[in-house]
Amino acid sequence: MPLVEARGLTRTYRKGEQEIRPLDGLDLDIDAGRFVALMGPSGSGKSTLLNLLAGIDRPTAGSLVVDGVDLAALSRRELAEWRSRKVSIVFQLYNLVPVLTAYENVELPLLLHDLPRRERHARVVRALERAHIAHRHDHMPRQLSGGEEQRVAIARAIVTEPALLLADEPTGDLDRSSAESILDLLSSLHRDEGRTIVMVTHDPRAAERAQATLHLEKGRVAETIARTGAKESSRAPANTEAHA
Amino acid sequence: MNLPRALRVLRFPRLQLQRHALRTALALGGIAVAMLLWTIIRSAELGVALATERGASDTKLVVYRQNRYCPFASQLPQHYAESIERIPGVRSVSPVKIVVSNCRASLDVLTFRGVLPEWIDAELLPGVEMLQGSADEWRSRGDAALVGEELAARRRLRAGDTFRSAGVTVVVAGIFSSDDPQDRNSAFVHLPFLQEQAKRGGSGGIVTQFTVTVDDPSKLESVATAIDERFASDSHPTSTAPEKSFVANAAKDVVQLAGFASWVALAALAAVFALVANALALAMQARVRETAVLEVLGFTGSLVAWMTVAEGLALALVGGAIGAVAAWTGLWVLRPAFSAEGAVIEILPSASVLLAGLAASAVIGVAAALVPALRAARLGTAQALRAG
Repeated sequence: MPLVEARGLTRTYRKGEQEIRPLDGLDLDIDAGRFVALMGPSGSGKSTLLNLLAGIDRPTAGSLVVDGVDLAALSRRELAEWRSRKVSIVFQLYNLVPVLTAYENVELPLLLHDLPRRERHARVVRALERAHIAHRHDHMPRQLSGGEEQRVAIARAIVTEPALLLADEPTGDLDRSSAESILDLLSSLHRDEGRTIVMVTHDPRAAERAQATLHLEKGRVAETIARTGAKESSRAPANTEAHA
Repeated sequence: MNLPRALRVLRFPRLQLQRHALRTALALGGIAVAMLLWTIIRSAELGVALATERGASDTKLVVYRQNRYCPFASQLPQHYAESIERIPGVRSVSPVKIVVSNCRASLDVLTFRGVLPEWIDAELLPGVEMLQGSADEWRSRGDAALVGEELAARRRLRAGDTFRSAGVTVVVAGIFSSDDPQDRNSAFVHLPFLQEQAKRGGSGGIVTQFTVTVDDPSKLESVATAIDERFASDSHPTSTAPEKSFVANAAKDVVQLAGFASWVALAALAAVFALVANALALAMQARVRETAVLEVLGFTGSLVAWMTVAEGLALALVGGAIGAVAAWTGLWVLRPAFSAEGAVIEILPSASVLLAGLAASAVIGVAAALVPALRAARLGTAQALRAG
């Protein structure tokens, strides 16, 4: 059974008299342990899909099952509880809490978990070390470079051991060198720990790190590129159910 | 709500307050000043209430000079005592000479009460506890004074000290504690001594007032009328009133001021509300993205609301505590008291006012945080992240 299973996923907004439909009956399966990139032009539905996968937005129609849970059936409170355990997001602009140190930012999601203090500390240290940012644990976000802030954000994302790690243009605000090192980190999280990662990106070089790239257009998967190795790809026809 | 989780996340508002030090200090300063004002006003109101409700007896009358409002102006011949004693229903009469250091508004008034030794034995000593010195020492010296503890504390007096005020120099023979605010803010001296000291061109044998004890509380009005009728055509007509209403009347203007001041106290509480609400509204507005991130991490709306309320509560409670404790400490050190027509009104450092201030701060803190908390709890996460 796939980790993510979307059927007829539709999201519409009203903007004045106009109805906007960023997702229009999208079908999608993502297996556990996969690294998937989402690409497409602005307005193609990438960020909307990411918000739905993160449980911070709800579909207008269709179903979305993540790790066996139908997200549309959850109340707001249940959805928050689910988010705290099953999913994490890495944002383009890091979104660290400015008044907290790197350590405290990483610890923040664990405050929702009933863990002994020692266990919480061990997990935070492990996540910081995994993201190669432990040496900056007592620094405030304003004292860190963009690449370092993104490492802290990744440590915060993995500290709860989520089933699904989402990344919204995680290298979009970084220089080339920092971007490469962040992509190396994401790749190693997938390769070494088998994490399931869904990454929105505009950068083809970033997308090449993923095992599969889904191209979205007008709210649907227009093309799927599956890679078995670097630069090696197979193409699936457009407007069919995408399986990554 | 999961209690351990609710307690764990309190670290977040604590760090917000700590690390936005300037914003927090400004809010705390404003709240502290408002609560300082509230505490002082409430303490003054309490002092007025005590002076007018507790410090008087049901069987006593005060005979004062008609149409006179200051102890300096109320002058009655001491021999009136003999005429008053003969009025039916009168058990005893005590001539009292009052000299105050300041007849105007002042927070440090010293009241000398010149009394006879019999009055000390019958009226004062049964209701007080000697803390230093003795009544025997007072009886043995003509210039001796028995000093109430509040006055002694305010003037830093100890038994054996000599002090001078209002042109009167006395030796402290004893210091006593009393439940009566009038007594504990007065210095009791020998009547002839005070008359001599205050003579200033020939007023020997003159007293300020008489304290009359009646044998039946129901006779207060009739005895008062009889006294005033007895001296109505005399050169020194009198105005006699029950001690309670005398003190209440003397403090009437102060009570009116206290009534006005209670509006100022309410305004101080409103200021606390506005300061907390403003501080939180601005903070939450600046933290839209942070709040959205918290919700993305799995914080529920109620948890976000709880943290906002906790922040408001902490601001109001800490600020309120600073202001209330500062006021309480100031009153305790300075022990201010003022006088109205010879009636002493203390501004008391009261534990009940302190606790009421803290409770009011807490309630206001929670109330002021409710709207920002509800707005934060209802933030649309995806929209907030897009807008942020």
